[in-house]
Amino acid sequence: MTAQPRKNADRAPMLVYKDVRKRYGSFTALDGVSLHVNPGEVVCLIGPSGSGKSTLLRCTNGLETLDGGEVLFEGKPLPKSDVEMRGVRQRMGMVFQNFELFPHKTALENVATGLITVKKMPADEANRRAMALMAKVGLSDKTANYPSNLSGGQQQRVAIARALAMEPHVMLFDEPTSALDPETVGEVLNVMRQLALEGMTMIVVTHEMSFARRVASWVVVFEKGKLLEEGPPTQIFDAPLKERTRDFLSHLGWDG
Amino acid sequence: MDLDFSPLLDSWRFLASGLGLTLALSAAAVLCSFAAGLLVALGRLYGPRWLSVILVFYIDSMRAIPVFVVLVWIYFAVPILTGHTFAPFWAALTGITIHVAAYVAEVVRAGLTSIRRGQAQAGYALGMSTAQVLRVILLPQAIVRMMPAFGSIVSVTIKDTAIAAVIAVPELMRQAETLAGQTYRPIEIFTAVMLIYFVIIFPITRLIDRFYGRVAHLGRS
Ligand SMILES: Nc1ncnc2c1ncn2[C@@H]1O[C@H](COP(=O)(O)OP(=O)(O)O)[C@@H](O)[C@H]1O
Ligand SMILES: [Mg+2]
Repeated sequence: MTAQPRKNADRAPMLVYKDVRKRYGSFTALDGVSLHVNPGEVVCLIGPSGSGKSTLLRCTNGLETLDGGEVLFEGKPLPKSDVEMRGVRQRMGMVFQNFELFPHKTALENVATGLITVKKMPADEANRRAMALMAKVGLSDKTANYPSNLSGGQQQRVAIARALAMEPHVMLFDEPTSALDPETVGEVLNVMRQLALEGMTMIVVTHEMSFARRVASWVVVFEKGKLLEEGPPTQIFDAPLKERTRDFLSHLGWDG
Repeated sequence: MDLDFSPLLDSWRFLASGLGLTLALSAAAVLCSFAAGLLVALGRLYGPRWLSVILVFYIDSMRAIPVFVVLVWIYFAVPILTGHTFAPFWAALTGITIHVAAYVAEVVRAGLTSIRRGQAQAGYALGMSTAQVLRVILLPQAIVRMMPAFGSIVSVTIKDTAIAAVIAVPELMRQAETLAGQTYRPIEIFTAVMLIYFVIIFPITRLIDRFYGRVAHLGRS
């Protein structure tokens, strides 16, 4: 294997995970995970369900507390205090499997609400920004719709716009297309691909192997709360070092 | 049996003044108990442990004691204990509020806890504080979901105001009793009172149901 230089390896990493541990009761969800994410990288997390991928994302933005190890964001450990953590969260966007749009707000209000509530931006300015983001995700004509009047793919694109509104430095995606009808998966992946091209730093938990193959700059394989293997997509998909990586991929129907 | 509705025609102003007080007491009781119930629910869910223990005890007591007993107790016992007399209207408002607020608190709590965790997480992920998550995300959805239950509480509250008659609040029921005693026409008068309660409460509950049908989707996450 010839070692390829990892993207932006010369720059200070955006995120560093050092021996991260997380337990739920007696169950160990993360069992000493160490990895890092460079600025501008798209890191895809893959692995069997229950292997701790979502838990790692929630530990990244402080929705879960660690039981051991640490996470450094832009060189600093995640703050302990709630007030400081809220500041950090504003710089991390999160996209959920079930969209989690706010049902009592229109699409535009969903996108503007973070700016208005958290950043205290005047409503007209926030709405202007939200409008621009709705255009960016291709939904200029749906700004007045409530989530209940949007397809899954449209809802997820609004959710991406909502996260982008805060101008995050990194975007965390937790299986963004797993709850979608097959015909709307593509529109969401296209938005994500566009973001990647613009240089957004992204961590993407996904079962979309062709997306990971084409868009990821680095792929991390999880198994039972541990890192099984990591490397560039060419390594993971064409020549995995670990037999169990190959097993997992063939289980998903990936034929290399 | 011959019915004579003429006392109603002669004394409708007397009943109408009672109706006015019934409406005022109802409106005040609904507002106060919804505000108090909301605070109790928030205290129970988000307050320190000792507070939630106290509030659970309060809620359980109110569900076990008839509102009639609460009201009479406040009217007769509180002046003896504190040395301050309570005007009947304020005693009635306090008693009904203390009682109904416990039910409101339970409904609010059920509404808040029925919203799936991801909604709050989406708010936190944007950088919101717990208070912002509550105000901007959870409460608006909970209020929509709670609307049918609120409708029943409103109607029960209006009906409960009738027991203020026992402490001589001159509301509709009390005025009717007085009038029936003076005219010896209880059937006619109490029939009219029944109709009045129905005519007030029935449209209110229907309107709330109708409105809920329109907005239900806003609470569905
Ligand atoms: N809040 C929780 N309480 C208890 N167990 C949890 C909780 N969250 C996750 N788990 C458990 O931790 C393990 C890892 O979960 P998760 O990170 O969601 O896996 P993945 O996203 O890789 O499918 C799972 O077995 C799950 O049941
Ligand atoms: Mg998951």
